[in-house]
Amino acid sequence: MEHWQVWIYIAVVLLPLASFTIQILGMRILGNKNAYVATATIATCFGLSAFGLFNYITTGPGITAFTGLHAHHDDHGTSGAAPHGSAGHDDHAPGGHSADTHAPAAEHKDADKHDSHKDAVKHDTHKDAEKHVEKPKGEGGGSSEGSDTAAGHGGKLVWKSEYIWTALGSSLGKPLTLSLGVYVDLLAALMFAMVSFIAMLVHIYAMEYMHGDPRYPRFFAYLSLFCFSMFGLIASPSIFMIFIFWELVGVCSYFLIGFWFEDINNAKAALKAFVTNRVGDVGMLIGLGIIWSYFGTFSIADINNALSVSRIRDNDTRITRAVAGDDITVSILAPANAKGDASETVTKTIPYLMLTIAGLGIFAGCAGKSAQIPLHVWLPDAMAGPTPVSALIHAATMVAAGVYLVGRFYALFTAEALLYIAYTGGLTMIVAATIALVQTDYKKVLAYSTISQLGMMMLGLGALGYAAGLFHLITHAFFKALLFLSAGSIYHSVHTYEMPKLGGLLKKMPVTGYCMLAATMAISGVPLLSGFYSKDAILAATMRFSAETGHYPIFFFAAVGSALTAFYMFRMWFLVFDGTSRSAHLEHETHHTHAHDDHGHGHGHHGDPVAHAHESAPKMSWPLIALTVPTIAVGYPISILPFGEPVLEQMIHYSAPVATVDLSDWHFKAMMVSFVVASLGIGGSALFYSRFKIFSPEPYARRFSLLYNLFVNKWYFDKIYSIIFVKPAMALANNISRFDKLVVDGLVTGASNLTHMASQASGLFDRTVVDGMVNSLANLIMNTGEKSRQLQTGKLRQYLAVLAVGVVGLFGWLYIWIQS
Amino acid sequence: MMSDAQLLTALWLVPFIGSLSVLLVPKGSEKLIKWIALGFCLATFGLTLVAFTSYLNGSDEGLPPIASSLSDRVLNNVIRTSAVDGSDYDSIELNGAGRDGRKDLVVRMPWIPSFNIQYYLGLDGISLSLVVLAGIVAVLSCLASFPIEKSVKGYYSLFLLLCASMIGVFLALDLFLFYVFFEVMLLPMYFLIGIWGGENREYAAIKFLLYTLFGSVFILVAILILYFWPGDHTALVSQMNPNTQTVERVAYTAHTFDIVKLTQAATTTDFYGRSIQTVIFALFLVGFCVKLPSFPFHTWLPDAHVQAPTPISMILAGILLKIGGYGMIRMAWPLAPGGAQELSYLVALVAVVSILYGALAAMAQTDFKKLVAYSSVSHMGYVTLGMAAMSLANEPRIYSYGVNGAMFMMIAHGITSTGMFFLVGVIYERAHTRDLNKFGGLFATMPVYAGVSFLIFFGSMGLPGLCGFVAEVFVVLAAFNFNKLLGVLAAAAVILTAGYVLWTLQRVFLGKPAGAADDHGHGHGHDDSHGHSGSYPDLDQREVIIAIPLVILTVALGVLPTPFLLSWMSPSVDETVKAVLSAKTVVDGKKTTASLNFPINNPTPLETVKR
Repeated sequence: MEHWQVWIYIAVVLLPLASFTIQILGMRILGNKNAYVATATIATCFGLSAFGLFNYITTGPGITAFTGLHAHHDDHGTSGAAPHGSAGHDDHAPGGHSADTHAPAAEHKDADKHDSHKDAVKHDTHKDAEKHVEKPKGEGGGSSEGSDTAAGHGGKLVWKSEYIWTALGSSLGKPLTLSLGVYVDLLAALMFAMVSFIAMLVHIYAMEYMHGDPRYPRFFAYLSLFCFSMFGLIASPSIFMIFIFWELVGVCSYFLIGFWFEDINNAKAALKAFVTNRVGDVGMLIGLGIIWSYFGTFSIADINNALSVSRIRDNDTRITRAVAGDDITVSILAPANAKGDASETVTKTIPYLMLTIAGLGIFAGCAGKSAQIPLHVWLPDAMAGPTPVSALIHAATMVAAGVYLVGRFYALFTAEALLYIAYTGGLTMIVAATIALVQTDYKKVLAYSTISQLGMMMLGLGALGYAAGLFHLITHAFFKALLFLSAGSIYHSVHTYEMPKLGGLLKKMPVTGYCMLAATMAISGVPLLSGFYSKDAILAATMRFSAETGHYPIFFFAAVGSALTAFYMFRMWFLVFDGTSRSAHLEHETHHTHAHDDHGHGHGHHGDPVAHAHESAPKMSWPLIALTVPTIAVGYPISILPFGEPVLEQMIHYSAPVATVDLSDWHFKAMMVSFVVASLGIGGSALFYSRFKIFSPEPYARRFSLLYNLFVNKWYFDKIYSIIFVKPAMALANNISRFDKLVVDGLVTGASNLTHMASQASGLFDRTVVDGMVNSLANLIMNTGEKSRQLQTGKLRQYLAVLAVGVVGLFGWLYIWIQS
Repeated sequence: MMSDAQLLTALWLVPFIGSLSVLLVPKGSEKLIKWIALGFCLATFGLTLVAFTSYLNGSDEGLPPIASSLSDRVLNNVIRTSAVDGSDYDSIELNGAGRDGRKDLVVRMPWIPSFNIQYYLGLDGISLSLVVLAGIVAVLSCLASFPIEKSVKGYYSLFLLLCASMIGVFLALDLFLFYVFFEVMLLPMYFLIGIWGGENREYAAIKFLLYTLFGSVFILVAILILYFWPGDHTALVSQMNPNTQTVERVAYTAHTFDIVKLTQAATTTDFYGRSIQTVIFALFLVGFCVKLPSFPFHTWLPDAHVQAPTPISMILAGILLKIGGYGMIRMAWPLAPGGAQELSYLVALVAVVSILYGALAAMAQTDFKKLVAYSSVSHMGYVTLGMAAMSLANEPRIYSYGVNGAMFMMIAHGITSTGMFFLVGVIYERAHTRDLNKFGGLFATMPVYAGVSFLIFFGSMGLPGLCGFVAEVFVVLAAFNFNKLLGVLAAAAVILTAGYVLWTLQRVFLGKPAGAADDHGHGHGHDDSHGHSGSYPDLDQREVIIAIPLVILTVALGVLPTPFLLSWMSPSVDETVKAVLSAKTVVDGKKTTASLNFPINNPTPLETVKR
């Protein structure tokens, strides 16, 4: 291996798979010890990932690269260096003075911007990072370990390696290959660290939360499988491999949503999640098909490189038809192949329309996974799974994979595709937030808030805020995991998800309460917590985008969505932790009205759930505390003060596949907006739901009953889908089945009946006509015989003479016939 | 070591001898018969593995068979003929086939010389993969036959005869011989369904027999056209001999059933013109679509499957359907490439309709076995689609993905559908019903069975990491390059597939155990009052032994398709792809089509095929 670090990440991906295999095969022997196997594995993964991240920063750009106060690293884009050549930059101006001969991207229009920090960023430690080395891959069949290439786009450090999975078409020239591999840049390294950290805490938490479940060992086996799939997804160098792991995380999600499958509703939720995701996956397959047809490769980095040339991009760094034309011709690296031929740059042409469709197709997959409108309907139902699963899969990691992919494949999206992404994200953000406003189930509030925040990430990405969207992905992962785990902690104690039964829990569960408060503040955008910085970045991006392009709804979505988020999140926190228990009052008024619905997991309770509440055991509370640290601090700039671009954002910026726009002028304005909307949201929430409760929400619900009903019914998405998709599909299936029986098979049966009738008729014909003729012939002969009786002389000699004449005649005729 | 003649003959002769020797076992020793039959199946499987290793390694001298294409290897087995038109066998030279000990996995002898019919067997990656699959499925279905108690002797005799003939079909390189094996196969199948089947067995058996005969008539006519095609007897034949570099002026006439020779004639010459190729192709297509089965010729399949006993369903789905696909890749396309190209859009359309139609019909079924049968119709559509996706525009290598995908689908479906029918049989044996609405909650009570089922069904659904995915994705990618709309439709089918597979799994395995009172609705029904359901025993040892190879293959082919299958299968597939795409009729057709409609980016890289 060119880089031994690749092995770290191969190990991180494969260890959970090994752990899963051990747990599944050894379940009878290991039993509950599975939990330790799984947890030890994921802890190892976290250790390796953390080390990998540290190693990347120290051997790569160096930490000083991310501490500069200048926020806008436009030159981090790849508009410069090509994968080939250009050995040894010693500053961060990629390609500026490197001799690019094969360059897919030789121009870079923003060369004027990157002089500001030449001094700040050194990476002469890694002179060989740019060497693009293709090693022979062994002989046909692709069964050997592939090449290790050191540098990816823009001369930035990339650890990668690939294995040729299939190579076909060798009789028709160089075989076309599909490969699997590992591709770790800084973004991937950050994701590895984030996912493994949260996964580790969730494992520990689940050891307590799932304790006593009859399928406890299986739960941890599933978790391990999920970790494998998620790590594989992050590490994927190609969109094809992403698709593979995309489905695998989907199936893990399926099993975990339906973990308590005895309740058929959970099973149905699992099915809904999988099928809805598959709808998105069809889009992704379409995107794959187009990419494969036009580029002949699935490599994300190569396609990003090819499409990041500024020649086809406008001043906003977007690919537009005006600049790029109807047909886009780019130079792209042909994929390596099994025969050991060196990679070569080829020229490919793709129509602008097809590129847009490919982008939208890939985004459809992302929309499925990241629960964007119109494919968001599965995520609230997915809360049927155990809460640790909701925290890990359906809040922090898997659902963010869609956002991650949009970021990873950022160069693919044309201006129209990005605009579509922005509007989808914005709408999703608002719609989900309005639904969250009226939920009474606190886990559902969190679910809709997840959808809403994912929408916000997409909004940021679509509004050209590459780093902003992905930055929010990471901060959100931490505080949303914390929120869910806190919710699990509450449920574990009170066995209900219904907020109207709760209240005043802060005294009983202080650790959970304060941890959740930190997360609630973070998601609401309270200054000095991580969410503030990432939301600020997104607001800045949308503000700039709206101002530059005139798409004002984009900013409106972000601002209003943020205010709503602050409102409903604090509503939830107030309702659960503030004031006093409402069940106690309720209890007083109506005695034992009904048992609580416990979603198949608890023991039915009577009375006040709050009264028996208690703080959770250390295995559950410590992960909460551990998550509080990044919830607060992960977004800090070097000075903690809200000035300058946060370190994490700069790191993400560093991995940008394209040149990105400059947001520095907008940060301050965005900060103001952010502050205002957060205050409005939190203040409004306090007025309605805190212990002070100056206003009562009910009259407003009545006054705006139209909207209220719309929100409570989740904008009728499920009902509409049932009417226009599910039922017609089932009806079509039933009709086809009937058609098959009546028409298609009917034709066969009809044909056979027809044949039967024909045979009957022919039988009749045979008896009457044919046989009749025979019979009449026989009669004729009989009559003739009667008459010719006189010929019979009874003399043998005469008979023999006749026979001899006959035979001779016959042979004579035969002879003549053969001769002719 | 066995010679080629011995090995290839033994492949079909061993089960045939088994079929006879079972009959010799004295009455009353049913158990012995079962073990003898299993022994013969295992021996056959062993022979397929021997063939497999010889294919990869060959003998000490010379290259292993895998290194050269079938058409090259055939040249070691020339039957020298005196007359130019090949109608007369004066002297016979067999310099392969065990005479010189060289392993080329071809055996060739005159059989009915007056009609130029040969006893002509051979293996390449395409047929070998199916032969090995047949060996595996034979063993597994023989094991799965153990519970059958009705006239055991007859059953196993017919069973082994079926195995012999289906392996023979894959071995034959002479169309006449192929046809003989093809027809012989129908008989045991007819009796196996008609005697050991379910309540409506006679109807299903007759339907199967007549429908397949109906299809085989088309095949026969196509074969006879190929044989009797008068053509121009003095037509110039270039490169009939792949070893010669130059263009030879050789007079050629048909009058042969030799598949390899006919393929060369059809692909390198215009002896068979484009219009007659269209006729031949259409005839083959109908014949093999019946066997595959493809919409609209599929209706015999659900009946046959539902009525057939479990092991026969396994063989039917696992192997017999593959004969349709095998016929396409070995005959329909190579013997009539011009016709295939002419009709490619139609065929692709039929394929896509088959995929969607089968999936939708499957979704509507409540009979577990019928559902799996319709899923076969859907999956076999991918085989046709992969074959049909002859890219006109961009990239001929992508067509290679299509055909490899089609072959991979045959193997993958051979494994998963065998598994699915086996699994349906397992639960039918216990519950005596196949009504999906009467199951539920089996995940809790039969964890091993449930685990195996989830894996196999997911493999069939095309979950990445399992075998079905590889096939589906190859075919869909090729289809995209062929026609975007058809590609989109084929891709959209994955939703339907996920829908019916998951819904089935939900109805069988999830929820509360279904009781008579609980009408499969919202999971609040109380525990069953009858108590018979949901408490079946999990898989027993024999069943686990059947399941293990299927599970391993499903995973292995999905994770590492290249080492396990593609590395040795795809060279042969690529040969076929190349032959088809470089066929004179195709290239000429492409030119005319191209000048009419399609701008070709890289003008026909296949025009020059000189080695």
